[in-house]
Amino acid sequence: MTAGQVIDAYVEQVVAGLPGPARERADMIAELHSGLLDALDAHRHGGLPDDLAAAAATAEFGEPRVIAATFRSELGARLARRCALTLASTGPVVGLLWTASAMASHIGMPHALPWEEGAPSGSATVVRLLLAALLVTAVGALVTIAVTGRLAARRPGRTRVAPAAAVISGYGAVIVDVTVFSLLAIQLASAPGGLAPVPVAGAAAASVARLLLAWRAAQRCRAALA
Amino acid sequence: MRAETLKGHLDGLLLASLEAGPRHGYAIMEMLRAGSDGQVDLPTGTIYPALRRLERAGLLAGTWDEAGGRRRRVYSLTPAGRQALAAERGTWRTFSAAVTALLEPAPRPVTT
Repeated sequence: MTAGQVIDAYVEQVVAGLPGPARERADMIAELHSGLLDALDAHRHGGLPDDLAAAAATAEFGEPRVIAATFRSELGARLARRCALTLASTGPVVGLLWTASAMASHIGMPHALPWEEGAPSGSATVVRLLLAALLVTAVGALVTIAVTGRLAARRPGRTRVAPAAAVISGYGAVIVDVTVFSLLAIQLASAPGGLAPVPVAGAAAASVARLLLAWRAAQRCRAALA
Repeated sequence: MRAETLKGHLDGLLLASLEAGPRHGYAIMEMLRAGSDGQVDLPTGTIYPALRRLERAGLLAGTWDEAGGRRRRVYSLTPAGRQALAAERGTWRTFSAAVTALLEPAPRPVTT
């Protein structure tokens, strides 16, 4: 193996299975690779032949498994923060679209809310589930954002909960969107002609997009937990 | 000096290594080794995520720089980083004075 191959093999061992936003992960790995080449140069200048210089450089950088764990922690925090910010920013948009749809369809307006008197049977339970899922999603996202923010970055111990909180928030958002579709189905079954088609279609499309996004976010953050 | 011993002080050491000017990761590690007569000798790979964390905390600013055909990520202290370094120094002085007083008590006059 050439010195370059020894360095590449070391980097591959560190990279294997690392989570994180692809661009940030590639950027951090490029920095590690560049640092290893600096170490290789330093050992060459110290008089070591190529093969021993490469071995000394990788030994100096530490056990790949240990280094991968430190990268995993930072990348996991960055991934969780990105997922939580995405969920926190898309949630209100989808919520507003559904509210606009309900208003355009005169559901629950102006007097009774959908789960109150006169609402289709079964909707009250679904609405309670929806509110609980909304709460879990919001708390999970806020905790993630808080523990991965500027202040918390000085205390890396707190960051460890970030991927778990982001997973909870992601699955919570999935449940929110599924329950919204359940409510829509109940409404369609009880009064199919009462819905305003354009706003409902727009909100449903946004909800589907967010459901897929939340599922993917939760899965990626779950992988960062392993 | 083991990594466990340095735990809790790494951030301050990294900030201090950048006080004189911007450096890339490997140069920071070399400075820590040279400045401590080799006592601070962490696995070099561990400082890169730590530098990114300090950057996320707004204490460091990192940019890619190309020199001699090699790209290196160079870090510099932000104003918040300078403040954090001053605070770390103050905390360390208080802590080390207290520990020194306890571990190396001044000789007491012998009473008969």
